[in-house]
Amino acid sequence: MKRIAAVIILLTGIISACNKPASKEVIYRTTGAVSAYNLQYLDGQNILVKTEVVPQSKEDVWEYDFEAEEGDIVYVNGKYNDINSGLKIQVLIDGKIYKQASSEGDTVNYLVVSGTIPYE
Amino acid sequence: MKRVFIFIVFILGCGLALQAQSVFITGSVKDTITQAPVENVQLINISTGEGTVSNVEGHFSLKVKSGWPVRLLVKHLSYESKRITLTAGQSKDVVVYVAPKITSLDEVNVISSFENDKPYRTEAISSRTIEKTSVSDIGNLLRREPNVSGVRKGAAGVDPVVRGFKYAQLNVQLDGGTKIEGGCPNRMDPVLAHVDINDVENMSVYKGPFALKYGPNLGGVINVTTYSPVFYDKFENHIEAFAGGQTNHTGFKSSFGVNGGNKTVAYYLKGNYKQYGDYKSGDGSVISSSLEQYNTGGKLAFRPVEGHTITVGFDRSWGRNVDFPALPMDERKDDTRICNISYFATKPGKNINYIRFKAYNAHVEHEMDNKNRPFSDTLVAISKITANNLGGKFGINLNVLKGRLETGVDYEQIAKDGDRNKYLILQPNLPQVTEGLWNDASITNMGVFAEWQRSFTSFDLIAALRYDYNTANSDTLFRRKMNGQVVYENTNTSSTFNNVGFSAGITWHFNENNSLLFSLGRGVRSPDMTERFIILLPVSYDPYDYIGNPQLKPEINYEADLGYRFERKKAGSLNVSVFFSYVKNYILGELVPPSEVPPQTRGVLGVKRFMNIPDARLTGFELSYLSPSRYNWLVRFNAAYTYGVNPEAVQYVRENGQVVGEEIIENDPLNEIPPFEANLSLGYSFFNKKLMPEIYLRMVAAQNKVSAANYEQTTPGFITIDFILTYRYNEFLNIYAGITNLTNANYYEHLNRRIIGSKSPLLEPGRMFYLNMSFKL
Repeated sequence: MKRIAAVIILLTGIISACNKPASKEVIYRTTGAVSAYNLQYLDGQNILVKTEVVPQSKEDVWEYDFEAEEGDIVYVNGKYNDINSGLKIQVLIDGKIYKQASSEGDTVNYLVVSGTIPYE
Repeated sequence: MKRVFIFIVFILGCGLALQAQSVFITGSVKDTITQAPVENVQLINISTGEGTVSNVEGHFSLKVKSGWPVRLLVKHLSYESKRITLTAGQSKDVVVYVAPKITSLDEVNVISSFENDKPYRTEAISSRTIEKTSVSDIGNLLRREPNVSGVRKGAAGVDPVVRGFKYAQLNVQLDGGTKIEGGCPNRMDPVLAHVDINDVENMSVYKGPFALKYGPNLGGVINVTTYSPVFYDKFENHIEAFAGGQTNHTGFKSSFGVNGGNKTVAYYLKGNYKQYGDYKSGDGSVISSSLEQYNTGGKLAFRPVEGHTITVGFDRSWGRNVDFPALPMDERKDDTRICNISYFATKPGKNINYIRFKAYNAHVEHEMDNKNRPFSDTLVAISKITANNLGGKFGINLNVLKGRLETGVDYEQIAKDGDRNKYLILQPNLPQVTEGLWNDASITNMGVFAEWQRSFTSFDLIAALRYDYNTANSDTLFRRKMNGQVVYENTNTSSTFNNVGFSAGITWHFNENNSLLFSLGRGVRSPDMTERFIILLPVSYDPYDYIGNPQLKPEINYEADLGYRFERKKAGSLNVSVFFSYVKNYILGELVPPSEVPPQTRGVLGVKRFMNIPDARLTGFELSYLSPSRYNWLVRFNAAYTYGVNPEAVQYVRENGQVVGEEIIENDPLNEIPPFEANLSLGYSFFNKKLMPEIYLRMVAAQNKVSAANYEQTTPGFITIDFILTYRYNEFLNIYAGITNLTNANYYEHLNRRIIGSKSPLLEPGRMFYLNMSFKL
């Protein structure tokens, strides 16, 4: 009976291991603005967060990072209000750029970078 | 793959270590009640397939070349089959007791290629067939049987079609009663997708509306029997392992199980795991078909008193990232839990042959999305559905009018609810809309059945009667646009039906070798969840959004089957059957004007509502030959054909992607009917049946009889050749190697759906090499 119990424990362990989805580190990064801009992003709890970022210079970087799983939606949209400003949005997954977009001095001052974390 | 290789080396090593010399086992077979010797009992060595038959005094002698212990299957037409294990020292004066048989369709355990004892056509698939194939999907395996085909939409979940009947027209169940309701509206997870192929001991397909004790039956019953605990005289434990790997559709399937017991308690525990990648078709196209599926389950049986058995079972299975290129979504997660309890009493009274009771619950949580599709760049759609099937069955088998009467009641309650969430991920504020796929829909079916059978000198009779009370309900069916505008609403969602089915059949044995079979039947089935309650989804073969119709009438199938059977020990068995089926209230889609309900899915031509057409007709035949098992050579031949017709079909005339009118087409072929098919297996056994090479040739004709009304496309014919090598290394280890689609033919089945976003059909895999190993100790 001991051997059978061991086998059951082993089977349960294998099944549990199979059940674990792959975890990914997601970073939202924005830069390139010289004046205040508005951001909306989907956070680690799948909640749409609105915030205003006020950079000191064009090189200032705003970042938000969280753990996510394959298939999760990543979403950042930004709007700069000053025609002389600009914005660059990047979404990085495990340190690599997944998607990015930029705009500078454009009348279309609105950017969205979004997608789903690819399955490997 | 490394782990699989290590596992293979391990079980090969075990097999080598356990090889042994040949011995003779002698003994006698006796009736458990009368203690009288029993003649003509088959005793088969499970490991090697070798066997013997008891003589008039019940004595038998069997030469066993494998080592101890020896596991024997004991079979007789009039007695219960059983399995016994003999250990070293138990080779002489072995007494095997057999219990008089109580005929029960639910306990069918057939090892031959087709059954012969019903007056209608039946196919059976054994565990050995399953072991030696590379196929990992039950529906896919069934496609090898005559007049059994399947609708393929992706990497798994081939949906069986029997004689042109499909989906809810077939009653598909496990272990003689357990039913499962899949979650996906597009049937990516039909019943058989929730069962691992390595858990299957055998499968039976009862064609036609004749087998009524299984539940409502319109076009046929597919009963899948999973492994069950076996009681032993002394406490024993056994292990079993299976591993199979393949090239192309690269991946593997594996399983590990333990079982055992004594006279009072028996158990069976098993786990399976399989994983496959994409495959290449014959022309080198890469077809998305990756999947990961695993499950664990077990059964525990108690026999507190001889003749009374209580079994408790559970199964939990998971599907992950299963590709469905011919559907708008892929399966992301599928979690299924099945639990059941059954009771079986043998001979509880003088005129009662048995009593049985079964209760089950099958719960499916199904999640799918379009995240791997190009369209997900702008819109991510995620559907989550919960489906539950709760049911039970009670039956009693009595001696009535010099025959056997089985009567009882069954119950099934299906509940389904689910939404689709759409995220417009390129829009500001990430707009999200939730749409109901099913709104707390439920169907309840209560049935009463009776089946009486009696054998006379030269003929057997069987007659069955069934009544079903079917009721269904749902919350309001509605769909709103993102701006809140209602595009569809239906509050009239309740319906109730009283269905009566009956069948009668005769098998006339006009001499020892020849029999004539005739059956007549009326089968009725109420509309299913999709036909009643689906809300604007493209769930059918054609490019239309469908809406359910809660007021549909049940389909009624009047069918006649005529068969001829020839059996001779030295010549083999030949079976021929023809059928004619007249279906009243056949369910099809009918176009709804866009002003009434506008389509909601991109690319569809309009909206159809499920409707009853007055009638449809199906006719066809099956022909089978199987060579006798006594010879070293094997010949198995099957040919089958079905033709279905809609006497008055409506064709919706299309221009520039729009419906601009309609025409009536008389005698239009029904859509999704497989073409003529023949297959031939040729094999020869070497080294006392230890080694058997086999060639499997499959010839499928072009399907040119297609539905013009549905713009169904023709399919070219094809021929495939498989090579299978079976090696019974010893009683513990069997090795199977093979090449499927040897000529790397580029082909697809007529029932394969088209790949979404293209006009390309879903091609079948090209050439594939595989190796399976089965180890039982």
